Amino acid sequence: MLPARTGRRPHGRWGFRREVSAGRFAFLMNLPTIAFLCVVLVYPIAYAGYLSMHKVGVAQLRRGEFPFNGWENYSRVLEDPLFWIGIKNTLTFSAITVGSEIVLAIAIALLINQAGVWTSRVTRLLILLPYAIPPICNGLIWSFLYSFQFGFLNRILFTLGLIDTPINWAGNPDTALYALTVPYIWRTLPFAIILVHAALQGIPRELYEQAAIDGANAWHRFRRITWPMLQQIIAIILILRTAFAFAVFEEILAITQGGPGDATWVAAWYSYKITFSPPNNFGMGSASAFILALMIGAIALVYLKLIYRRVTL
Amino acid sequence: MFKPSPTGKLLLHVANLMVIAFILLPLVAVFFGSIQSEKALQADTRRLLPLEVTADNFMVILSKGEQKGRIFEQTTYLPDNIKSFYAAVVNSTIVATSVTLLTLLFGSLSAYTIARQRYRWTLFLLQANIVARFVPVIVLMIPLYIVMRSLGQLNSLTGVIIAETGFLLPYAILILAPYFDTIPTELEEAARIDGCTRLRAFISIVLPLATPALAACGVIVFIASWHELLIPLILNARPDFMTLPVIIATLVGDVFVFFNLMMAICLLALLPTVILVALLQKYIVEGLAAGAVKG
Repeated sequence: MLPARTGRRPHGRWGFRREVSAGRFAFLMNLPTIAFLCVVLVYPIAYAGYLSMHKVGVAQLRRGEFPFNGWENYSRVLEDPLFWIGIKNTLTFSAITVGSEIVLAIAIALLINQAGVWTSRVTRLLILLPYAIPPICNGLIWSFLYSFQFGFLNRILFTLGLIDTPINWAGNPDTALYALTVPYIWRTLPFAIILVHAALQGIPRELYEQAAIDGANAWHRFRRITWPMLQQIIAIILILRTAFAFAVFEEILAITQGGPGDATWVAAWYSYKITFSPPNNFGMGSASAFILALMIGAIALVYLKLIYRRVTL
Repeated sequence: MFKPSPTGKLLLHVANLMVIAFILLPLVAVFFGSIQSEKALQADTRRLLPLEVTADNFMVILSKGEQKGRIFEQTTYLPDNIKSFYAAVVNSTIVATSVTLLTLLFGSLSAYTIARQRYRWTLFLLQANIVARFVPVIVLMIPLYIVMRSLGQLNSLTGVIIAETGFLLPYAILILAPYFDTIPTELEEAARIDGCTRLRAFISIVLPLATPALAACGVIVFIASWHELLIPLILNARPDFMTLPVIIATLVGDVFVFFNLMMAICLLALLPTVILVALLQKYIVEGLAAGAVKG
C-alpha cells in the first residue's frame, strides 16, 4: 500500500487541490467505461429481452408502442423449422472450423518454430496477413474463388489438369456449408497460430534437451512435453473460437446468403433476416438473438470459471 | 536444437510452401480479378492468367464512376454506391480513428485501476469485461437499432462511434490490464511521495511506460473498427454515412454482379489494414496473446 500522506498538499496542474481517496479515484477512472458498458451492452441486452416478449413490427415501431405478447415470439421461433436448421448448421459449422483450426494451429505453430528452415521464416512473416483482411472482403474474394462460371479455384484446377468439368463449390446444397468453413478458417487461423506459437516459446528448452539425452523421439517429445504444456492455450482457443464461430455472419452474407435453399442458414443469419427483411419481425428477431446469446453466454461462463480462475491477473 | 534430417527438411519446406500457398491464394485471386474485365473473365473460363491487364476497374471507382474507361464504356448501369467510395473512406477513417482514441483513453483509465486496485467491484468489472467480450454484435443489433432510432442517431457517424467504442472497450481493457500489472508500483509511489496526485502519477509516470501496450491495443482496435460491418450496416442506411465494409456489402445484393469491380474495391479496402499489420506485426502479436491469455 501507499505510504501515509505527508503533510504537503499537492497542487497539481490538474487542479486537484485535495487528493481524492483511492476508492473514489478508482470509481472516477472507471466511470466512462461503466457508462459505455451500460449504454452499449447492458441496456441493449436487457432491452433485447424486453423486445423478445413484445410484439414489435414496422407498425409498432412507427407508433412507438410494443404490445406485450408473453412467450409467443419464443414459441414461434422454436416452432420454426428454419430456426432449427440454423442451429444445426451453426453447430456443424463451429465443430468443423474449431476442430480444424486447433489441429492446423498446432501444426503450423510447430512449423514456424523451426528457426533453421528458411521457408519457415517466410511463413512466419506472412502468417498474420489474413488477420488484416476485412471479413466482408474475405467473403467476396472467396465468392469469386468459388464461382461456378468464373471461379478462380476451378481455373487453378483446370490449369493443373485435376478436373474436367467445373465444380459448383458453394452452389451445391451438399457442399455449401463445408465450402463456407474454409474462408472462415482462413481468416481466423492466425489468431490461433499466434496463441499456440506464444505458448511454445514459453516451454523451457531444458525439457527438450533432457528428453533428447533420454533418447526420446520426436513423437514422444511432442506427446510428453509439448502437448501437456499446450493444453491450457488449446482450451482457451477452443472456447474463444467456438463462441465467435457461433456468431458467423459476414462470410454467409457475402458468399451464399443462407443458400442454396437453406443449406447455409446459420443462427446469426436467421436473426438478421427475420428482423431486417420484410415483414421485419423485431420481436422474433430478438427472441432468436436472445437464444443465441444464452448459448454463447454459457460458453463465456465456462471460460470465466475454468480458465480465468487459474490465470489470475 | 534438433537438426532435421535432409528428408525431414524437405518435408518441412513442402509443408511451408503449402501453408504459404493457402495464405496467398485469396490475395492472388483478388489481384487477378481486379486487373481484368468481365469480358475477359468470361471469354475463357478455364484460363488462370488474365487475357489482358487493365486499371479501368480502379479508375471507375477512384473517379466516382465518371471515368468509365474502355471496359465500362458501354455499361449504362453502375452500382450507385461505387460513387460513394471516397465518402466511405473518409467515414471509415473518422470512425476507426475516433473509436481507437476513445477506446484507448477510457480503456487505459479502467485497465489501470483494475490492475492496481483490488476491490470486489473492480474484480467484478474485470469479469464483466471478460463476459462482454463474448457478446456478438448480432445479439445487440436490434436493441441498438431501436435505441439509436429513438435517440435520432440513425444515419450518423456519432451513433456508430458510440456503439463500436462500447463494443470494443472490454477487449481493450483485457489487453491493457495485464500490461499495467507488470509495471512496478515503486515509480508511482516515489512520484506520489513527491506530491503527485494519483491522476498525475498515472498520466506522467505509468502511461509513458505503457506505450507498447497502448500501441498494441490501438492497432488491434483500429483494425477491428475498420473491419466492423454489422454495426454501421444496421445503423446507417444512407450512402453518405456508410463505411467501407457497408458499401462493399451493398454490392453483394446487386442484381448485376460485377466481380471485377468488387475485387478492385475489396483490394482498395483491405490495403490500409494490410499495411498496418505489416508495419506493426510485433505489437499485434503481443496484444492478441495478452488479450486472450492473461485477461
